[in-house]
Amino acid sequence: MINTVTKNYNVDNVFCSYQVTYDNGKVSSVPLDPANTDYQEIQQWIADGGTVIDNGGGE
Amino acid sequence: MPFIGNKPTAIPLSADDLEDNIISTAKIQDNAVTPAKYIEPIPFRNIIINGDMSLAQRSTSVASISSGVAYHTVDRWITSASSAGTWTQSQSTDVPSGQGFSSSLKMDCTVANASLSASSELLLQSRFEGQNLQYLKKGTSSAESTTLSFWVKSNKTGTYIAELFDSDNTRQISKSYTIDSSDTWEKKTLTFAGDTTGVFGNDNGNSLSLNLWLSAGSTYTSGTLSTTWTSYTNSNRAVGVTNLADSTSNEWYITGVQLEAGTSASDFEFLPYDTNLQRCQRYFFSLGGSATYQTYGYGMCFSTTAGMIGVPYPTTMRSAPTVSTETLSSFVTKSGSQLGGAPTSLVADFPGINFANVELGGLSSMTDKNALRLYTNNSTATRLEFNAEL
Repeated sequence: MINTVTKNYNVDNVFCSYQVTYDNGKVSSVPLDPANTDYQEIQQWIADGGTVIDNGGGE
Repeated sequence: MPFIGNKPTAIPLSADDLEDNIISTAKIQDNAVTPAKYIEPIPFRNIIINGDMSLAQRSTSVASISSGVAYHTVDRWITSASSAGTWTQSQSTDVPSGQGFSSSLKMDCTVANASLSASSELLLQSRFEGQNLQYLKKGTSSAESTTLSFWVKSNKTGTYIAELFDSDNTRQISKSYTIDSSDTWEKKTLTFAGDTTGVFGNDNGNSLSLNLWLSAGSTYTSGTLSTTWTSYTNSNRAVGVTNLADSTSNEWYITGVQLEAGTSASDFEFLPYDTNLQRCQRYFFSLGGSATYQTYGYGMCFSTTAGMIGVPYPTTMRSAPTVSTETLSSFVTKSGSQLGGAPTSLVADFPGINFANVELGGLSSMTDKNALRLYTNNSTATRLEFNAEL
């Protein structure tokens, strides 16, 4: 089950994937690909009221 | 041959007139049998990938399965569980004798539920891309029938349900089969009619799934089993299915699963290990997890605390994969002889279907633009997983 979802920014400060933490401690980078089932799960999680953390780029 | 009296009527020989094995190979003239007179098995006729349960990249055994939809052990077989007991799923070496199989998938009940709730379910599922199913001509007047064959064994005899579910058009068809003898491998064959309604998408999405129901509540069993293709009604999907979850003594094995076009089952199509592996890796592969000090990739540092490695995939994946690990602290980075420590973050940077750039943060003592290596410490449990499952 999804615990948190955070936007990932790459070295060029472009939003490049989602970082997802799960209840079991697993850490995943989920691509911005609508065919990816984890991406689909995130979209459903957002539709169900989940809030994506956006810390911005610039690191 | 000369004869006396009336000439006897010529009677053509039938197969019944020939004694078994009376015609040896040596008696058949060279090239006498043409391709039109024999059926050559079609290669890659099995729609199911890893039907012999020989590959289990994730794990060979997972306990405490009680809820959720997830791939646990054997590749390409996903489990959907809800309020139907607790299970250990494993790749087993218990197989039907003399059939050539080396592995089966085993479900072992560890916490029973003899009183299912309405929404209870336990099923194994294999999902298929629509672009691999176009030859079934579904949704046309020429739609092909399909035949499912498999070997199954359980202590729990009774009725079970196999279902084909069309996700593109939300249509389904179910067939029942019976496990007749306790703890005995039995081969089952079920034929599903072709569906003249609902075309499969010609893409990499999930168009069709095979569902093997092992337990279901009234939500799925209170109607009449839908044995012809129809728009799905939950109550008609698993009518009559035995409750495999009613005792911790229950276990269920399956192997040799084949789904093919046509109305008859051919022999199971065994594929070479490397071919089967590559087909599975289109959906999932992992690096590491088998030996210590394994390298995952090389790249370069782009600051004193961060860098990037490139990871080419063993085959083109179905979609851009999710990149995961449960053991971030077990990774090691190194630039030349300089250790950079374990990364504290791992970010896939626009992963594609053939290659991933993986950015690593939280390193130390690195030098900008120097080469970077990511590897594991002396742990055999450190894995980097790439998942593009349906």
